[in-house]
Amino acid sequence: MPLRIPAALLLLSLVTTACDQQPGEPGDRTPPNDPVELPVIGLGAVNDRFTSEIAVLDNTGYTGTWSRRNNIPGNAVKIWDLEPAVPVLLDSILVEGAGTVGDLQISDDRSLLVVANEYDPNGAITIFSLADPRSPQPIIRFSTPEIARGVHTVKLARQAGRLYAFLSINPTKQAAAHLVIVDITSPGQPQQIFAAAMGNPYVHDVFVRDGLLFTALWHDGLTVWDIGGGGRGGSPSAPVALGNVKTVNGHVHNVYWYHNQRTGEKRYLFIGEEQVANPSAGDIHVVDAADFTKMKEVAVYHRPRYGTHNFAVDESRGILYAAYYEAGVRALDITGNLHSCGAIERTADGRCDLLLMHREVGYALNDRLVKIWGVALNDSHLFASDMQFGIWKIDNAALRQNR
Amino acid sequence: MNQRTWMRGAAVTVVLLLPANARAQHAHTPSADIGVDWGVHAIGLLTHATPALAGRDLTEAYLTQPNIFLHLNALENRVSFTGTLNLEGLTLERGELNAGTWGEGYIDRRHPHTYLHEAVLSAGQNLAGTGLSVSAGRGFAPFGTDDPMVRPFVKFPANHHLAQVLERLVLIGAVRRGPVLFEAGVFNGSEPLGPHDLGDLDRFADSWAARLTATPVAGLELQVSHARVRSPEVPTGGGLDQAKWSLSARYEDEAVYALVEWARTGELRASKELYALPSVLGEAAYRYGLWRLAVRAERTRRTEDERTHSNFRSPWPHTDGHVFGFTDWQIYSASVGRTLPTGGLRTMPFIEVSHQRPEPHTRPTLFDPEELYGSSRLWSLNLGIRIGAGLSHARMGRYGVAAH
Repeated sequence: MPLRIPAALLLLSLVTTACDQQPGEPGDRTPPNDPVELPVIGLGAVNDRFTSEIAVLDNTGYTGTWSRRNNIPGNAVKIWDLEPAVPVLLDSILVEGAGTVGDLQISDDRSLLVVANEYDPNGAITIFSLADPRSPQPIIRFSTPEIARGVHTVKLARQAGRLYAFLSINPTKQAAAHLVIVDITSPGQPQQIFAAAMGNPYVHDVFVRDGLLFTALWHDGLTVWDIGGGGRGGSPSAPVALGNVKTVNGHVHNVYWYHNQRTGEKRYLFIGEEQVANPSAGDIHVVDAADFTKMKEVAVYHRPRYGTHNFAVDESRGILYAAYYEAGVRALDITGNLHSCGAIERTADGRCDLLLMHREVGYALNDRLVKIWGVALNDSHLFASDMQFGIWKIDNAALRQNR
Repeated sequence: MNQRTWMRGAAVTVVLLLPANARAQHAHTPSADIGVDWGVHAIGLLTHATPALAGRDLTEAYLTQPNIFLHLNALENRVSFTGTLNLEGLTLERGELNAGTWGEGYIDRRHPHTYLHEAVLSAGQNLAGTGLSVSAGRGFAPFGTDDPMVRPFVKFPANHHLAQVLERLVLIGAVRRGPVLFEAGVFNGSEPLGPHDLGDLDRFADSWAARLTATPVAGLELQVSHARVRSPEVPTGGGLDQAKWSLSARYEDEAVYALVEWARTGELRASKELYALPSVLGEAAYRYGLWRLAVRAERTRRTEDERTHSNFRSPWPHTDGHVFGFTDWQIYSASVGRTLPTGGLRTMPFIEVSHQRPEPHTRPTLFDPEELYGSSRLWSLNLGIRIGAGLSHARMGRYGVAAH
């Protein structure tokens, strides 16, 4: 009787699910639906250079550039008017001395734009004033012997009232990869306050929140550091390690520590695994970080044949948007319990599989020949930077309504 | 070629040629029974690439492959030393135009070799018709085919990093019996970081290779080899590993040389293959009197990497999981040269023409040959002269009983 096996699996699934889900855990999750396609509104085209990361401030966008294209270096920051259906290029600022400006970030007080500069020996950060967001003005180009090796990514965070830039420094022939922390509270007078070798072989990116520093260390996994919020006496000039987790496949590229705005829960880390080939590969790994000394990977989002890159999170609605290179943008529901699931929702090694759990709630640019590097949000739209084509404006209203 | 490189090239030429013509020969010290052979070799080269980049042509001149060879043997050849000093670090600092080649931070320009290209000491013994040897030093791992420097073409094939593993700290054992030769060795997986690189002792023996060679009839050599190379492109470790295979058939007599090879490198993470780079190459040369004609055809897949301050360079070591495309290169080459009677020097002026056809292996890709080069059909015209004296390095990459 062929129906007996599926029926038995269904029964087993129901029993297992019932056993796994703990009463009293956050249950704010929206019932699953089929993922919706998010309509593309317009493309702001960039043909002269390869586009890299994107940052958005209201209706102004900033995109970096990468590598070389048309014999032109990726040394430009593009400024965009995001109000029209088709993003309009307002300006293109050449960053002096840079070969690539792959990453950039806006400070929490909306006053500064900080741009990472590669390559060795011309590594630096360039700090721009956003007094007029549509016309960033350079304040300073800052470098030290460590920073000169090349700044791959930059993240900004405030701790105890001071603003810091966290720089992931490339390995070179002479030196291993380093994390460098720069105090940019006085942006015209940056001070390097910390530098340490870390990563195997890279420290690729960091995430900073509530006085905790999360470092993406490639095959060394992810380490959480107290820099003032961990109760272990750490500070930005003397971080104290709290714990480390190795995720499946390594290649720990980036991380986001999700704070559920509805429940206050701060349990999950979302870790991007990057294995860039063509097409790309690499999953989104979910780590249970309820205890930083006992972190454990509990779930994964795997999209066959494709790999992820950078994230943006709509915390108020519990949606993680992931740049997915050739697979466009994927939107995941990250609310509720991600570490419990039925037997048929697990991977072979026992992790919950967010795809099988119907956690994918939306997607965009799925059927186009894209190479999506980054994603960013403002109050009304989703934006995706495409290495090949420029900047896409996407209607994500379907995921903003009723959530 | 800038002024500094010209001056370096001229100085290297003088250093190579003056003493070579006077002294580079075989010396013998009867009391110690030590044989000493040494020689020099270099190629003066003018390369015209069209298009080279963005629809533009480039014409450049080089002193390429400037080598000083040294071979010592003692105790009736039971102990020997093979050394090659390569001076390309002085003459090819920015690399040699060579569309399709890549590696060690160079793309479409062949990178300079390390100064210490080979320095290998071998000890061997013949026991009941079986030759045994142990070799140690810096040189080639027992994998693949001969170095392109000892083959007919001045331009390297695109498969160089797929078909040879060189400039490593090696320890190799070899056994030869009758027509069969077996070599196995360990070495450091890390590729050189520049001409001054002397190898990484910390990573010695993290990689291995083995090669089986048979000579069923005179002149014909069949070879199969395998190598497992740990993190070659990230010196501190943690990069992708490689599983390499090479199969070849080689024939050589006084008039004819021919080689057919297949090579494949799989890039691995935790023993799982992420992608593979295959290559097929055939080349042949024919000597007719003082003339030499040669042809080569190759199809090789390469990765496309991020490019830095120059379209010809990539970050080295890499800064990321760097591959953003694959390209299949079809390259067809022909060469004609004529040996000139010039006393103690070996001189051969030559003309070499190459045609390259790069095509993306997968789409979409950020690497579009039309966009980068201005065409998907590239040409390279080369005029040069090979100059050598004294010891000639006929085969490169085998030591001890494997070199006999």
